[in-house]
Amino acid sequence: MTALTQSLALARETASVRKGPSKGLDRAFQAASLGSALLVLLVLAGILGSIIYGGWPAFREFGFGFITSSAWNIGTEQYGALVAVIGTLASAFLALLIGVPISLGIAIYLTQLCPGWARKPVSMTIELLASVPSIIYGMWGLFIFAPLFARFVQTPVSNVFEGLPIVGSLLYARVPSGVGILTAGIILAIMIVPFVASITRDMLDQIPTVLRESAYGIGCTTWEVVRHVLVPQASVSIIGAVMLGLGRALGETMAVTFVIGNANRLSASIFDPGSTIASRIANEFNEADGMQLNALMALGCLLFVITFIVLIIARLLTRRAKLA
Amino acid sequence: MSPTTSMSGQLAGRNPANESAPVRIAVKDLNFYYGQFHGLKNVNLNFHDRQVTALIGPSGCGKSTLLRTFNRIYSLYPEQRATGEILLDGQNVLDPKVDLNELRARVGMVFQKPTPFPMSIYDNVAFGLRLYERLPKSELDGRVEDALRKAALWDEVKDKMKQAGTGLSGGQQQRLCIARSVAQRPEVILFDEPTSALDPISTGRIEELIEQLRSEFTIVIVTHNMQQAARISQFTAFMYLGELVEFAPTTKIFMNPDQRQTQDYITGRFG
Repeated sequence: MTALTQSLALARETASVRKGPSKGLDRAFQAASLGSALLVLLVLAGILGSIIYGGWPAFREFGFGFITSSAWNIGTEQYGALVAVIGTLASAFLALLIGVPISLGIAIYLTQLCPGWARKPVSMTIELLASVPSIIYGMWGLFIFAPLFARFVQTPVSNVFEGLPIVGSLLYARVPSGVGILTAGIILAIMIVPFVASITRDMLDQIPTVLRESAYGIGCTTWEVVRHVLVPQASVSIIGAVMLGLGRALGETMAVTFVIGNANRLSASIFDPGSTIASRIANEFNEADGMQLNALMALGCLLFVITFIVLIIARLLTRRAKLA
Repeated sequence: MSPTTSMSGQLAGRNPANESAPVRIAVKDLNFYYGQFHGLKNVNLNFHDRQVTALIGPSGCGKSTLLRTFNRIYSLYPEQRATGEILLDGQNVLDPKVDLNELRARVGMVFQKPTPFPMSIYDNVAFGLRLYERLPKSELDGRVEDALRKAALWDEVKDKMKQAGTGLSGGQQQRLCIARSVAQRPEVILFDEPTSALDPISTGRIEELIEQLRSEFTIVIVTHNMQQAARISQFTAFMYLGELVEFAPTTKIFMNPDQRQTQDYITGRFG
């Protein structure tokens, strides 16, 4: 009995040793974390606000024509975004067209076919690819890839397709210099592959073993398991990974500026030089003032809008995939 | 000492084992290895046509391993291998020349957890059929309906065939997986603890279903639940540490087993 009272007393003492939660400190902590969250909103609103403010004169001057005009004439102060917008979309689209199938192939190989001992090294190599700075891709693209591309792809392909309808204009280089929209797309594809591939790999890895076994269990081949069960099962996450890659491709500046050719020309050929919004801004910001600066700010707004739309589409797609 | 009375109560009124039924699967000197680990040791066992055979034993005794050799699903993992013979209608399924896809159409499998594929209810059942047979739409519809009826799911899903299979309840999903197997018209259906993730009511329905499927298919079921083995099987194999300890009609295993180990296990003295 005495032992019990003793231990009770002890318990009471230990309880009093623990300092009661200080109301003030807790409140400060809550305020600090709320502040961090608000800071993000504030920074975003600040950037968006200042870009819109900076671009406003251009929008007011050219109106809707800013988007539909392909002019970019510093002398006459005529500015339009069409070439850059199309260049941005086209190079990003080509990057996805080339990069996504390769990424899926890598992820499927790594998760389904690769022998155990090779998984680590192959995964590591792909992740290393993601850590290469974009300026290196740009340099490599301009000095090494572009000349080879001009000599072994652009020249022979142009010779074959010259004069043919559609492909003759789509794949024809007047001056096979190696730089252009397609070159940018290829370099961008190399840059997004590690992201899309490693996210897709992780998602395929998360699929329960029993699902995979039951697909093999009804007699599917590896292709059928991957095509009809694993990829649809992970489709939501794969769409997410692709959209992440697209976001990166749309905004990538340095590498693209090197290899896209920086021409303000609307061409039907993907071999021809062009511009993206990011490359145009990077090229001209240094010397721009007056209306040119306003036009560049307005271009920045458009890039913002485009990436925002991509985000919304990604959300809608993933929601639909979840419902299905 | 006689086994528990609750067990014998459940055995009453069951269909008796048909020991003269032809042998569908004959396992001969089967050894199984996970890398260096010897998972199955010289297993010899016959499975009779259109009978339910339950594999029981404590965790790690090799009952699931044995089940996974019949459709060679283990061969997805390169470090796993089997030696000996498993004759399915006289053909050795362990022969490397066996077409695995064809084998798996003949030997269906249902897993611990429901595994509906990410597609509609209709496609979940039709998917396996389309792999092997090119059927006209009307015939395909018929086969799907037939399979869903046999899996006792038709009435619950007939108005929502286009909806996702993953939207069904756990028990319905498991019956969908059974329908998927049944649709392929296999000879044998393997059940690997099919009710371990289900509530008692769903479990009861699956057990009834297995009883009905017995009229058409040879069934092998791995179960942790001895009452379940007693309720639904005609034959029972008791395994321990990778060896087959005893194989006999279920009534004999539960009422009057030959081996001391078997009796100890079913009376709950170890396991």
